Formats: sequence, C-alpha cells, structure tokens
Amino acid sequence: MNKLFTLWVAVLVLFGAALAQQTPAGTNISNQASASYIDSAGQARTTTSNQVITVVQQVYSFSITPDGTQASPGQTRNALPGAPVYFSYTVGNTGNGSDTIQLTTAQDAGDNFDLSGTTLYLDANCNGTIDPGETTPITSISLTRQGSPGASACVIVAGTIPASATNGQNGNLNLSGASAGNPSVTDSNNWARAAATTSAALTATKSASPTGSVTPGSNITYTISGSNVGGSAASGVSVGGLSGSGILIRDTIPSGLVVSVLPTGSAGAGTAQMVFSTNGTSWNPLATGNLPLTGNGTIAIGMFVSGTGAFFPQTAAYTFSFQASVPSASVAGTTYLNSATVQFHNGSSGQSITSNTTTHTTASRFSVAIGGAGVSAADGADTQTIASAFSGSTVSFNSTLQNTGNAPDSFTLSLGASTLGVCTILQSDGVTPLSGPVGPLAAGTTYTVVVRCAIPASQTGGGSVTLNATSVNNPSGTVATLLDGVDATTLVVTAVASGYGVDAAHNTNSAAGGEGSDPGNDSRAGYNPAVNPGGIALFPLEVANTGQNPDTYTFSAVLPSGWTAVFYPDSNCDGAMDAPTPAPVSGTGLLNNASAGCYIVAVQVPAGASPVDTTPVTGDNVQFIVTSTTLGSVSDTIRGAVDVNLVAQISLEPPRTGTLTTPGTLTYTHILVNNSNQSGVCSIAGDGGSFSWTYQYSLDGSTWATGLSGVSVAANGGSQTLFVRVLTPAGQPIGRTDVNTLTATCTVGSATVNDSVSETTTVVGGDLRLTKTGVSYVGSSSTVRDASAAIALPGDTIEYTVVASNIGTGSLSQVVITDPLPSYTSFVSVSAAISGFPSGTVLFSTDGITWSTTAPTALTAGGSIYVAVSTNGNSTLEAGDLMPPAATITITFRVQVQ
Amino acid sequence: MRVKQWWIVGLGLLLAFALAQPRNEVRLDLKAFRVLSVQQEGRTVERLEAALDARPGQLIEYQLNAQNTTDNTLRQVALIIPIPTSTTYQALSAQPLRLGETLVVAEFSFDGGRSFGKLPRMRKIRVVENGKEVEKEVEVKPEEFTHARWVLPQMSARQTVLLKLRTVVR
Repeated sequence: MNKLFTLWVAVLVLFGAALAQQTPAGTNISNQASASYIDSAGQARTTTSNQVITVVQQVYSFSITPDGTQASPGQTRNALPGAPVYFSYTVGNTGNGSDTIQLTTAQDAGDNFDLSGTTLYLDANCNGTIDPGETTPITSISLTRQGSPGASACVIVAGTIPASATNGQNGNLNLSGASAGNPSVTDSNNWARAAATTSAALTATKSASPTGSVTPGSNITYTISGSNVGGSAASGVSVGGLSGSGILIRDTIPSGLVVSVLPTGSAGAGTAQMVFSTNGTSWNPLATGNLPLTGNGTIAIGMFVSGTGAFFPQTAAYTFSFQASVPSASVAGTTYLNSATVQFHNGSSGQSITSNTTTHTTASRFSVAIGGAGVSAADGADTQTIASAFSGSTVSFNSTLQNTGNAPDSFTLSLGASTLGVCTILQSDGVTPLSGPVGPLAAGTTYTVVVRCAIPASQTGGGSVTLNATSVNNPSGTVATLLDGVDATTLVVTAVASGYGVDAAHNTNSAAGGEGSDPGNDSRAGYNPAVNPGGIALFPLEVANTGQNPDTYTFSAVLPSGWTAVFYPDSNCDGAMDAPTPAPVSGTGLLNNASAGCYIVAVQVPAGASPVDTTPVTGDNVQFIVTSTTLGSVSDTIRGAVDVNLVAQISLEPPRTGTLTTPGTLTYTHILVNNSNQSGVCSIAGDGGSFSWTYQYSLDGSTWATGLSGVSVAANGGSQTLFVRVLTPAGQPIGRTDVNTLTATCTVGSATVNDSVSETTTVVGGDLRLTKTGVSYVGSSSTVRDASAAIALPGDTIEYTVVASNIGTGSLSQVVITDPLPSYTSFVSVSAAISGFPSGTVLFSTDGITWSTTAPTALTAGGSIYVAVSTNGNSTLEAGDLMPPAATITITFRVQVQ
Repeated sequence: MRVKQWWIVGLGLLLAFALAQPRNEVRLDLKAFRVLSVQQEGRTVERLEAALDARPGQLIEYQLNAQNTTDNTLRQVALIIPIPTSTTYQALSAQPLRLGETLVVAEFSFDGGRSFGKLPRMRKIRVVENGKEVEKEVEVKPEEFTHARWVLPQMSARQTVLLKLRTVVR
C-alpha cells in the first residue's frame, strides 16, 4: 500500500501544476448531511438531510508567454533589413471554463523602426513556422478550460523589418490579449524585438510530432532546425566541457519526459556531435550508455556543430531531432513545454537565439476499476465474499472505486439484480445514500463505496449482487477489459442462516431467566393448577428472542373446547399477576435479540366444565404458542396441565301441600335437578310420614314403586320429574295432616350428595277438593321461567291455576272459591272455566258480597278474588246454586311480581 | 396499567409505526452559504448569501440544523457534514457545539467517513531516511478531510442544534 501511496505522492509532486486545476465551471457541488443515533427503544437509527447543491461559476484567466518588456523583450529575432521575422507566442487559458482571447499587436514608439505588415497566425502544430494551412490571419483564439486539451494554442506574429533599417537597429512589438468573457482580464506585457543585422543570424524553429495532445506512454519527436539568414558566416562559441568552438543547439528535456534513444542531426557545415549536460553548464558527448535521460528542468541534450573561424556560411542549415516519451502515469492535462536555444558567434558577439515553444498536453484516458476494499481496486471481474450472514440482518460490503484513468472523472454506480434482498449504495461513511455519480475523483485516487443489503427474513440460502461502476466520460467497455470505462465487482454472501428464533419457557423460578434449555422448558413437571368450573388457571411464562434481530411475537393457545386463554404482561417477572391487573396483550411487543419478557397466561375454564384430573408433562391439556410476526415459521409451543375440580350439587323442589278425603288419592310432582359438572345416579325414597299412609313413587306417573334407584340425571342442570302418590286409608280424622319427607341421594363421580323436599297432606271432610299450581313466566312473555313457579324475578308473570272439584257423591251448595293476591305482586287478570255443570254462569267478586258475571280488571293489594257459579240463572249467589258431583271450577289467576 | 406495560405497548406501537412508514426522528436541514467579505463603514465585514453558485477559491459555509422531533431523549447522536470533493475544509471553521456544561468538538475523517478522530489527525507513511524505509507519523492536512462529525452524548426531546463548517471551492 505504502509503495503505491509513495508513487502517487511522487506523481502528484511531479505534476503539481496539473493538479492545481480549478473545479470546472458548471460543476455541481452537492452535499448531504447525515446522522446516526440510538432511539428511545435502544435501536440504532440513521437519517439523512436534504441535499444542497452549489454550482461552480466560471473564472476568467489566461496568460500569453513569453513575457517581456520594451527594455527586456521576451524574444528577439535577428534578420536582414527587409526580411520577415516571426515571433512565437503561447496563449493559455488558466480559467475553469472555455474562453475566447482577443489578440492585438502594438508597436513601440521609442525604438528605431516599426515592423510592417504585422499579422497574427494560428500555429496549429506549434512548430514556429507558418505552414500551409496556417496562413489565415486571426484576431482572436478560442480555448477550452485549463487542464483540458485545447486549453492553450500557439500564435505566430509575423512582421517585416523595413529595408531602410541599418545594422544594429531594433523594433519592438507587443502582443496583447483580453478575455471575451471578462474583458477586464488582460495580458499585455509580451514585448518582442526584431533586430536588423547584416552579421550572421541563425534561426531556430522547433517542431514536434505529434502535436497537441499526447497519450500517456507515447513518444514525441522534437526537431529543431534553422539556418544562417544573416549577412555573413557564423562562428562557434566555447562550450564548457567540450573541446574547440562550435554552434550549440541545446534543448532542456521537459520535466517528466524520458529520452531513451540517441538523437540525430546534421549541419550544412562543420562537424555535428550529440552532447548532453546534467547541470546545464557542463557538457559531455552523448553515448548510448548515458541514456535514458529523464527531464527534471535542468538536464539538457543538444548538438554541437564544431568548426574553425566563421565556418557556418550564409544559408547553411542545420537540423537536430530527438525522441522523448510521455510517462504512462502522466496526468491528463499535464503540459510539456519545450523550446531550444542556439548559441553561436556572429562575428562581433556571442548570440543566443531561442526557438518557439512547443506545447503538449496529456490526453485524458477515462477508466475505472472497482473491487474489494483496499488501497487500489482490482480491475476486471472480481468477487467479494462474506461467508455467512443471518436472515433479517443487513450486510455491508466495502468496495474500492478507483479512477484508473489519468484525469479527474466521475463514476456512476449501479447494482445488478439482487438475490440478497434490497441493496443500497452508500457513501464511504456507510450512512449517506449515494445520489448521482461519485466524483470527480482525481486520477489514481480511490473512493470507498458501501453496499448495504437487507437480507429478507425468509431467505435461507446465499445470494449475490453485482456492483457496476461506469465512467461518466467514457461509459463504454466491458468488465473483462482492463483500463476501460466499465468495471464491476460481485458481492456474495455464501450462506444465510436464519436470524430469527424464539424460546418460550415456563417461569418456574418466579424470576427472569434461569430456566432450562429448550425444548425441556416447554413442560412444567409438578405444576398442575386445579380450578372449579368457571375458574381461572395461571401459567407464568417467559419469551426469549433467541434470534439475531429484534422481533415481536404473537400469542395463541390450543385449548379444550370452550376454554379461553388471556395473556398478561408480568412486568417484574415474579410469576404472579401484577396488581392492579394489567391490560391483556396479544403479543410480546418488540423484543431485542437476546432479551426476554415475562407474561402470565390466564386459562379460563368455562362454567359447567367436566372434571379433569391430568398429569403434567404426560397429560398436558393446554398449549401456548409464541409466533414471530416477522417469520411465521418461527414459533415455540409450551404445554401445561389444568385440573378441573368435581362440583357435586343437586336440588329437589318444590315442597307440596294438598288435601284429600279419606279414603283418597293425591299425586304430587317434584323436580330433581343435577347442578353438578358431572352426571349423577340417584335413588329416591320417602320417610312415609307418621300415619302409615301409603306413599308411592314414579318417574312417569304410571309405574309406581315404593322407592326409586338408578335414576340418571345429566350434569349441569339436567332434571328429572318425580311423581309421588299418596293414598289415605278410610277413617282418617278430618284435619289430620301428614308430612312425607322425600330425599334424593345422588352419586356424582366420587361424591354423594342429597336433597330433600316435603309433601304436606291434610284430610278434608267435604267433598270439595282444591288444588293449586303455579307457573312463572319470563316477564310478560310466554317463556316459562319455572314450571312450578319456584323461581320468579321482579317483572315476571305468575299464573296460578286453582282447580276445585266436587269429589263427593252429592251436590254442593253455594260454593265460593277464594284466592288472595300474593304479597309483592300486582293483579293482572283472572278467568274461570267450569265443567260438569248442567248449566251455570261464573260469578266474580272482589269482596264476596257483590257478584258480577264480568271478571274484575283490578284488585287492590291485600284483596282476594272470589269465584262462584250461579246455576239458577239470576247471576247472584244463593243457596239454590248447586255444584253437582264431578263438576270442576278452574280459575286462572295471573299476577306480576313487583 | 403500570408504566412498564405502557412501555411495552409503546414499543409495539413504535415498531408498527416503524414498519408502516419511514422514520424521521431527527430532522436534518442543511444549508449552504457563500461567505462574502465586504467593506462597510471602513471595516471588513462578512456576509452570508445562499450559495446557489460559487467560484473557485470562494468560501462556502455549511450550516446543519438538527432537531430531535420526538418526545424522547435520543442517545449517541452523531451528526455528519461531508466535505464535498470539489471543496477543501477550511481549518478551524468547524465550531464546537456547546451543550449545557459540555462542549462537543468536531471530529474529522480523512478516509471517506470510515474513521473519525479529534484533531490533530495523524497518519502513518513510509519514507526512506538514510537509505532505510521507516514509518513516520505525519499530521493530516485539513485539505484531506472528507467528513466532519459531532457526537452528541444525548439530544433531549424537541432539542435543536446548529452546526457549521466552511469549505473552499477548489
């Protein structure tokens, strides 16, 4: 790494001028801030700001070289009076955008003569000569921004020395420029001098091939040529390190360029010899062994044309040519300036003539490489691999994007089809999303790109995604081709393991954690809550997120039919229901990985549930399931055992009263109800009363026995109607009352329960028998609340039926049946029906004195209803109103419970 | 219901919220200003103008306004202002942030935001001295910085902070 870094540092130092370029006009400087933080839930979060963009504006700046003043001109041309002279200038744009430079020339008023016919030409190949094709005069020149090809141009100013000029006279000329984009930006200190001479005058013209832009690694051939255009022969000068005298054509090798081949050259007179100097003052003959020579601003090569006296006659010419190579690492926009100098003696003094300057600019090569993290990127196809990752997690790949070109460039990054979920390209900080191309990156520099992929929760296998990088300036090429505008790297996760897991466990220690490992913790030996029907069994449990990602879990339960389960948080994990009871939850809420929560499940056993006696572990009858909301296949089930107690309870109702004659028979009914949660088997027996009356029992009212056994009654309110028949023997005293106590004894499961009820029977003398029954209805509806009116709620209606029968053998006179309005009830209606009368009219009264054939519609509290039958047709009750044997009066009396 | 239960329910709601829509618990508002020096009553004063455009060499001040939009305290809030590649950081321009009794100084990265540290940032280089390659530590120049960061230990509910730094257009 450090070697490469050192190399780049060297490159930067070498071409410092090239790197000091300004940001091109029109460049967008975009910026986007980001933040990372930990939220109140302990989760790491990131966010980004808006993007701000600043557009770089154009700065106008240029230079014309060589500089010179009237007193000290930047270049001097010697020529015979009447001969043309050519001044070479280089105009360079040093601004950050394209510009046009307006060019004008001016003559000096304080010199010997003015040049005539001054004209400007574009020297397209920068060889200092107006070549065919370059003969069109110009007044301005358009240049591209600094650092790009076309940022500078060569200009020749041609003029003619007047024929009247004499030897030694001078004429000065200035080339001025002004920016078209900003006319206040000018350059006007570029004076040059034409000298009229009749002495020897050598010219020096430099040409180069190719011209303009050069690609890194290519060669430039420089040729310096000239001739003696003066009025007499030229002599040589003494040169340090070389013997004799001669004409020296010298050229300082441009910094960075490398000369590896011997130069060539010839002269029209004298002896030509190739020479070089490492310090610019002392020269030596040049041999192959001295090569290569790398330009550093001082090292020079040249041709020494030696001869004696004025050996180089008029019109004699010379040419010197050498080849220099451009370094392969040359940064685009690097300029290589070169000019040559010819030293000779014109007969009166030593002369030094400088040629025009050639300019070469390194052309841009736009190429890109992207590969694994490192100081440089692998060009061509390559793969970065992460061995394993968890589903539901994010993986990040750091890739190095490198500008392998030699010019600043920007790069577009894109992702191919992903089998690693949704992937995002981020900036080096791993937080800020990349928007738009990366760059501009300086040549050779790198930028770390982060690709973050969110692996789907359900992913089970490895996957990959390709990160493509494309040069904005050269969006062509292929991945396999090196040093082109396209490259890619493949990002691979070899194996994906599930990142989700959950362990539900019984909370056996009344504290968080400390439970056994799964699945052993799914059952709880020795824990066997027993509840009555309608009761609640509690199961403390813990839920641990054993995965790699935060997750939430939902609760569900598998229970016997009719049972329900409600889940509550257990904030202190003590296994006991918090007080006050918290609101039920349907799931855990967010659990971070490796964290756990405590809960309590309340299993509601329905009323009437059958008894259960089960053994934990082997006989578990409830299941609680904890399921990931992210990945439904991730769940854990724990089991528990709930016992339901046996509840044994029966009722035998209602007690009955009745009258009968002696001898006589009367039948009572009772209801046996099993309120247990299990069916019962009952036996029914009575104590037979005190007077040896006969009591018989039946389940159907037709088959009678002295006792009943093996009577099955269903659980949870199952009932059985019991019939009891009492038979009185003859001769019982009137008014005797016998009480028979009837007892039902039921075996319910392992329990035995009983209940008793009584029948109170009174012997009556008359032949009129009264029976009274009642039925209660729900409200005023026809729905029966209780068939024996044993139960009635406020608002319910009770219908009493009183049946009066003449069970004697003779008619009864003036029969009145009275029924009082029960306490806490309101009168509703009364009606009566008769049978067994030859003819008769039912009479009603509320006081027993005044009779009416119409039933009363009201009855005050404490009042009674009186009913009689008129058989003599006068609608009032008299002794003549007779009730014949077997006749009955049935009164239906409705009241409402207050 | 006890606080903890609300807390759990709250977490669930938060998660549901998180799944339902993108979060915006910290709102970041970045602004760019061009810094102009102007003469006013014989004094040189600075003026900030919206930096819709700028010329090479000009100063751009970035101001980041960060607000905790929640009713909760956020922890370890790292606020990052990148230094665009076409600009260089102006030394000493990233001002420390006063947070009550604490002073949060900026940290800098010179490796694209991968690592940050307080000034001075040092890097190791290998140089040849007396014919031997040795490793030396040199201070990283402000021009090489790629990101500036302020790490706030915590940010109270609804709190707003303002961060600034300046860059020079290359």
